[in-house]
Amino acid sequence: MASASASGPKGLAGRGIATFAVRAGAFGAFVAVIVYFILFAPGFTSPFNIFNVVEQSAILGVLAFGMAIVIIGGGSNITEGGIDLSMAANMGLCAAAYASLLQAGYSDLVSVAAVLLVGAVVGAVNALAVVGLGILPLLATLAVMNIAGGAELTLTENTVVPASSPLLAFLMTGRFLDVSVLAWFLILFSGLMAVAIHYTGVGLRLYAVGGHPEAARAAGLGVRRYVSLTYVFAGLCAAIASVLTVSRLSASTPGSNEMLLSILAAALLGTVFSRRFVPTVGGTLLSVLFIGFLSNGFQLLNVSSYWVNGVQGALILLVVAATSFARGQEA
Amino acid sequence: MMEKSLIRPDTISRLAGLAASYSVIIAFLAVVTFFSLSTPTFLTFANLYNVLVNNIVMLAIVALGMTLVVSSGGIDLSVGVAVDMASMVFVMLLAAGFAGPAGVVIGLAAALAVGVLNSILVTRLRISPFLATLGVLFIGQSTQQLSTGGGLPIYMTSGYPAEQFNLIARTSLAGIPTPVVILVLGIAAVYVALHRSVFGRYVLALGIQPGVAWYSGIRVSKHISWVYVACAFLAGITGIILSATVKSYVPLSGNAFLLDAIGATFIGTTLSRERRPSVLGTLLGVVLLAVVKNGLLLIGWNFYWQQVGVGVLVFLVLAVSFGLRRHLN
Repeated sequence: MASASASGPKGLAGRGIATFAVRAGAFGAFVAVIVYFILFAPGFTSPFNIFNVVEQSAILGVLAFGMAIVIIGGGSNITEGGIDLSMAANMGLCAAAYASLLQAGYSDLVSVAAVLLVGAVVGAVNALAVVGLGILPLLATLAVMNIAGGAELTLTENTVVPASSPLLAFLMTGRFLDVSVLAWFLILFSGLMAVAIHYTGVGLRLYAVGGHPEAARAAGLGVRRYVSLTYVFAGLCAAIASVLTVSRLSASTPGSNEMLLSILAAALLGTVFSRRFVPTVGGTLLSVLFIGFLSNGFQLLNVSSYWVNGVQGALILLVVAATSFARGQEA
Repeated sequence: MMEKSLIRPDTISRLAGLAASYSVIIAFLAVVTFFSLSTPTFLTFANLYNVLVNNIVMLAIVALGMTLVVSSGGIDLSVGVAVDMASMVFVMLLAAGFAGPAGVVIGLAAALAVGVLNSILVTRLRISPFLATLGVLFIGQSTQQLSTGGGLPIYMTSGYPAEQFNLIARTSLAGIPTPVVILVLGIAAVYVALHRSVFGRYVLALGIQPGVAWYSGIRVSKHISWVYVACAFLAGITGIILSATVKSYVPLSGNAFLLDAIGATFIGTTLSRERRPSVLGTLLGVVLLAVVKNGLLLIGWNFYWQQVGVGVLVFLVLAVSFGLRRHLN
């Protein structure tokens, strides 16, 4: 609970060890589950299966990175921190727009450009609401989620819109060094994100903006611009993910908003891997892959897929409960 | 803000302050006027009665619980699970031949269990409310799918269960439908708890300054626990009314209340300068959402456009309130 930093100096000494123990524990929990699958799930370790999981994780990965950036730039306070509840609905809207444009005969180039624009505009609306008008992110993006979800439904009338194009065919069947394009996409995207967030000044300043906005402002950073751009970036991620999801399903399908919880789970679970409990690229990627391997392992073990949500939820609670001990009173 | 505006007489800023505080009420009046003029059926007793019984009662009870939790500085993403658990246990027990009252009591106990789990996670394990209740939401979804063969609804439209359902949903006390009576009792209870008792003062203090509240000797864990338990209990009441109204249990249907309840609670916070949740504000938020949905349906917008319409309206209310207030400060 948020009872301010009530642990005095004595907490600091043990804090380092406790933090280490928790991070090791979080890794340990992940490793234990994976080891269990390696030992007992047939075919789990085959390269085919592993790349299959990486490929399946590409969509969630792109979305989770967008969410992570918003949380980094907005701070991780529950009600006032950065969060984008509209990402999944935005992806659904973009997917519907993309499939509809292709069906109407537009080229891949035009359609992708239009979809990136749609995603960015939804993100810009969030930015305007949060930064320009000062609405709580939780609320602003909730309203935008409704609007984007409704817009998707009016566009598709709640039906499946089939789509095919050279780009989709390439994403679906293309391979390089025996690894599919989607898997490559996730690898490259993660690499780019890691460099941008952890090895450039922009990334450093983004953490500063989210960690202590007043200090960042005093240091001369354009806090409002940084926070605005995180929402636009999340919108672009939603647009990119929509192209990937249309390629995987060869159509845009209703119900994409159900991904929202997985995106949140991946982004928030990823914070456990950082020393200061803020989202990181590596941590987010690990949790995305972990969520992917979890449902994959269950499939291979022939466990009903209805267990997956519950186990995912229980693991989130387990891992986060462990971290709260390291956070001490500050949690 | 440091910069000086050239034209800002006192009256204008005072009007803007009023508009920021009462944007919900202004929106509500505008919406009611618009729908009354556009369709003759809107402002009829039959329609308003229908809105009250079908759109307001259940959402309002869940939103009252959410108001308690948000007042304490938290959030409960698992209200839908509490709704569903009460509904599931109630309907399954009736299907197994239990008596109606026993079903209600055990159903509410199932909802309470969700609240107790939340409060343990938040106060004992110190998980942030967002993550704790998110985890419970996931677990609740699995539990329901596993106990219903993947999400098959249970219908009970005849015989003893249907009679028991009608006792709850189709009776009235002194001419007032029973669910509405339950809502009024719920409003009174939450109003007293939050705005007229020591408990409420402590809860609000926790929401505003948790650190100070802790140093002042408020028993943080105890109050936070009660807030989550009460929220789940209220959601459970909605679950019972829901299954009695539709004479069935449909897995995962409680989630429909989650976002509306959060929306109504936070729309309600625009009433106060400090953005604190209040029972009155939340009820206004619920009524606004319900009236807009009903009105858009009456003027012939389909379900899809309704969603866009509600989203845009909520966005505008928030934009006016937050935007004006930021401008004034």
